[in-house]
Amino acid sequence: MKSVNKNTSIISKIKQIRKRFIQRKTENSDSILEKPVAFWIKDDRLLENRGKEFTIILRTKGCSWALGETGGCSMCGYIGDSNIEPVDPEQIIHQFDYAIETKESELIASDDDFVIKIFNSGSFFDDDEISEEVRRHIYDKINSYEKIKEVVVESRIEYLKEDKLKAIKAALEDKYIEIAIGLESVDDHIRNNYINKGLIYNDFLDALNLCKKNNLGVRVYLLFKPPFINEQAAIDDCIHSVNSLINLKVNTISINPVNIQKGSYVERLWYQNRYRPPWFYSLIKALRTILLNIEEDVSIRIISDPSGAGTKRGIHNCLKRECNEQMLFLLRNFVLSQDPEDLLIDLPQCDCKLEYRLKKLYI
Amino acid sequence: MDLFFDLKSKKIGYSRIGRIYLSSKEKKYFKSPNIVIPMTNTLMGNINFLEYFETHPIFFITKQIFLKIGFLRDKFRNTSFIYSHSGTIMRFKEILDENPHIFSQNNVISIIPFNIPTTSIDKDFAIQEINNHIHLAKSVLEDYPNSNFGINIKIFDYSELIDLYIPLIKGSKNIKILNLADLFDNLTNFRAILRVIDKIKHELNNNLVLMASGRLLPKYYPLLIYLGFDLIDSSYMMYLSAENFYNTVEDLLPIYKLKELPCPCIACSGKLKKLLQDKYSQEKILLLTLHNLISAKTYMNKIKQFLDTEDYRSFLEKSSHDDPILYSCLKILDKFHFENIRLETPISSSNTLVRCIGSISYNRPDFKEFRERVVRNFVPESWTKLIIILPCSATKPYSESKSHKHFHKVIRKFPEFPDFQEIILTSPLGAIPRQLENLYPVNCYDIPVTGDWDQEEIQIATQMLIKILKKYEDSIPIICHIKGDGYSLILENASKELKNVFYFTDTLENLTSKDALKSLEEKIREITENKVKSPSINTLFTNTWIRKLIKIADYQYGIGSGMKIFENGIKMITDRTKKKIKIIKAESNENLGTFNVNKGQIELTIFGAELLFPFNDNINFIIFDGEEIKGNNLFRPGILEFSPNILPRSNVFILNRNKQRIIATGNAVIGSNNIRNIKRGIVAEIYEKR
Repeated sequence: MKSVNKNTSIISKIKQIRKRFIQRKTENSDSILEKPVAFWIKDDRLLENRGKEFTIILRTKGCSWALGETGGCSMCGYIGDSNIEPVDPEQIIHQFDYAIETKESELIASDDDFVIKIFNSGSFFDDDEISEEVRRHIYDKINSYEKIKEVVVESRIEYLKEDKLKAIKAALEDKYIEIAIGLESVDDHIRNNYINKGLIYNDFLDALNLCKKNNLGVRVYLLFKPPFINEQAAIDDCIHSVNSLINLKVNTISINPVNIQKGSYVERLWYQNRYRPPWFYSLIKALRTILLNIEEDVSIRIISDPSGAGTKRGIHNCLKRECNEQMLFLLRNFVLSQDPEDLLIDLPQCDCKLEYRLKKLYI
Repeated sequence: MDLFFDLKSKKIGYSRIGRIYLSSKEKKYFKSPNIVIPMTNTLMGNINFLEYFETHPIFFITKQIFLKIGFLRDKFRNTSFIYSHSGTIMRFKEILDENPHIFSQNNVISIIPFNIPTTSIDKDFAIQEINNHIHLAKSVLEDYPNSNFGINIKIFDYSELIDLYIPLIKGSKNIKILNLADLFDNLTNFRAILRVIDKIKHELNNNLVLMASGRLLPKYYPLLIYLGFDLIDSSYMMYLSAENFYNTVEDLLPIYKLKELPCPCIACSGKLKKLLQDKYSQEKILLLTLHNLISAKTYMNKIKQFLDTEDYRSFLEKSSHDDPILYSCLKILDKFHFENIRLETPISSSNTLVRCIGSISYNRPDFKEFRERVVRNFVPESWTKLIIILPCSATKPYSESKSHKHFHKVIRKFPEFPDFQEIILTSPLGAIPRQLENLYPVNCYDIPVTGDWDQEEIQIATQMLIKILKKYEDSIPIICHIKGDGYSLILENASKELKNVFYFTDTLENLTSKDALKSLEEKIREITENKVKSPSINTLFTNTWIRKLIKIADYQYGIGSGMKIFENGIKMITDRTKKKIKIIKAESNENLGTFNVNKGQIELTIFGAELLFPFNDNINFIIFDGEEIKGNNLFRPGILEFSPNILPRSNVFILNRNKQRIIATGNAVIGSNNIRNIKRGIVAEIYEKR
């Protein structure tokens, strides 16, 4: 993997922070490696209707980009969930099975359809993280649950090779498969200079076409308010990115507001008062603008499930609970219904709306 | 639109008064410097905001809603707007596309935004980001050649990065405003800030409007104006209001601390007082925003008034005490940027009292220029036989003070008094030969007198005195009629460096007491009788005012100029107001010039100026592209060449194209540096032409 970022400043900063973070990390015991990082079931939006998501986060070696020469992305601290050293494929299989077995009763008993999301804080198709053998096991297991209608796996585009895509399609032919790609922004400058994603737009387009060619859905992650970006620029960039992606006919757009993750470069900026996670008002404003301009015949699923919402490390307005809950309520309703009207409801205004307006030029 | 900014008057430091034209259709303008008030939906919803700022000439808008033709041409047709987008430059371009004619035809100019990155990592990162911004800005400027723009300049604390912008600014005719968006965010970096200002003032077109925005506090405003900013964006007041800060001008106070509101504005006299203790109140924040904007505007009104009619530097010095950083910044500016700022500072000023309030005043550029010019251009009268050192007086010019009238009574008892050279010791102007007492700033300064001199004052006076006295022969005796430790120390220091003999009068009591004056008289008598017996060689220049005019001419036009003009004898006619002294050549009754008492300088006629041919380096001239000047003002486009040391308000001679004839005389409005860096506007006011 080569860096497409000509600016070495951010790379050296991220590497320095990453190195220190990894050095301080304690080694995982075998018992930890037998279980996934986390797994849960909760309401989610499926392609056609409301349903449930079953998310499993596997503990693998970790993202090759974060462990590589460039230090990884500026907002990402997921390497903290990874093992750094390779994890035995058997153990990864055990992690997956553990999650499935624990939630099996729920999976069978529920009336809802499920989307299963298998995340490994890295790339699902990177053999160093998840081997062919593990992938095959996962496919087989998923096939045994009829309720699971959709499958989401995520990967950097350099691991999206035709043979692997064909294999997943062949193995899960009855399921709707979405390959999630962290594009973060359609703007190359923002993506590479501020996020250090190491990905150029044209390569993303090739990957998108490859997925489409293999009849795989594509889910694109957009990062809302990357470091070095102010609120209005975050709104502008989000609107611009979503509109571009709609034109490219991607299947799902997942908007992820930045949350301050431990061991990330953005955490340092946040400590230095040089970055503040986005305001909810900005996200809602961006979504409203997008939805008001979407043409009726466009089929797109726009979702957002902010991590750490309402806390000082996550997307938040003021730190009043009611204020943030109100915003989350609005957002969740919209994500589940995909009905723009749900975003346009006038809720009682918190005092911080004025603060947001007055401060907007400087945040 | 070519017409955009006209420089009307240069003031001390880089400060200036001008006119900004935003509407291309009608030649409507507003005066600069001024404050730019933000206009937002939130503020517009407040009736008091509309009422108070209805007549304000310039607003800053970021919402597209204000770009409607109906809005710009109807309700606010006499107002100017600066538009900028607070997000990405890509969105800004879309907005330009969506409003194709708004920016080229209306009273609104847009500023190309530079909002991201919000912060930088290091210099390399900053360079890359600035280059990217310049690349994007260039494409905007080229895509809209018929619209004028402002450009946002961020340097991320690296002053040298201003260099990256210079080719773009020089190469783009449609850049009219330079908006320094982050220069003052970190005022502790004031040395870098001053370097950036120097660069802009010396390398770029001075017809560009200089705007400051970012995290600006009202207490910075006087300094910003002194640094030559024409527009100050007050949007940060909104942020501060949201943070519950109340602007008292001198400082920002958290609102909960206030018991009484020290302001009679519409917000403070209204409901704000009742809401002071409310922790969360939208109404309070809105009223606070209103107060903060009103107080910022009123402060700017005060600044504008002082800049226009009073000694602005005193106002600045007073306000620089509001923050140690402002004070340091001013000190550094005086100390290390004098060479640049002297060409920007008027050499004279009329009808203003110059108040010196402390050590910050010692090195103000006009004082420093005066001291250096005296040392450079003052030469002793060849007939000088005795030097008398006297203290300064509160009344200016000194000779009109009671004390100096007493001294004169004694000195003029001696028929050879024109052979005496009086030198007045003072702070912070140093040592002033009597002949120069009518010059600016000697004729109008005021300083608190306590009898105590600080080290810097002593050093300034000592150095200057030594430099002047060294111009005299060692054999000339020096009588010191002074009292007080400060004066004594100066003379003690000076006497160590000089071979002349120093005599001190007995001044146990007051300097004007009978005994002291008697002692002065005795000392003079003793010396004139015993030490200097030779008859005076000076028979022509015994009149005090003639002696003064010769030295003033030297001061203004260089050594030897006075004799060149006045050597054949002159007559003087004082007008009824005693404000002008007409100087006439004795033998032919031809008019040589006028000494303007208010301005403290000679204004030569063409006839008088011709006597100065060939010009020395001190003479200010401008070569006009033609043989005849029409009208009373000389504008930049007609100028071919000019001497490098013209100071604003100095006497200038206008030469014809082949430099052989003086075709007019006038007073410069701006200095050489400005003349070099402007493309249009007034350069000199003509008072006589052929």
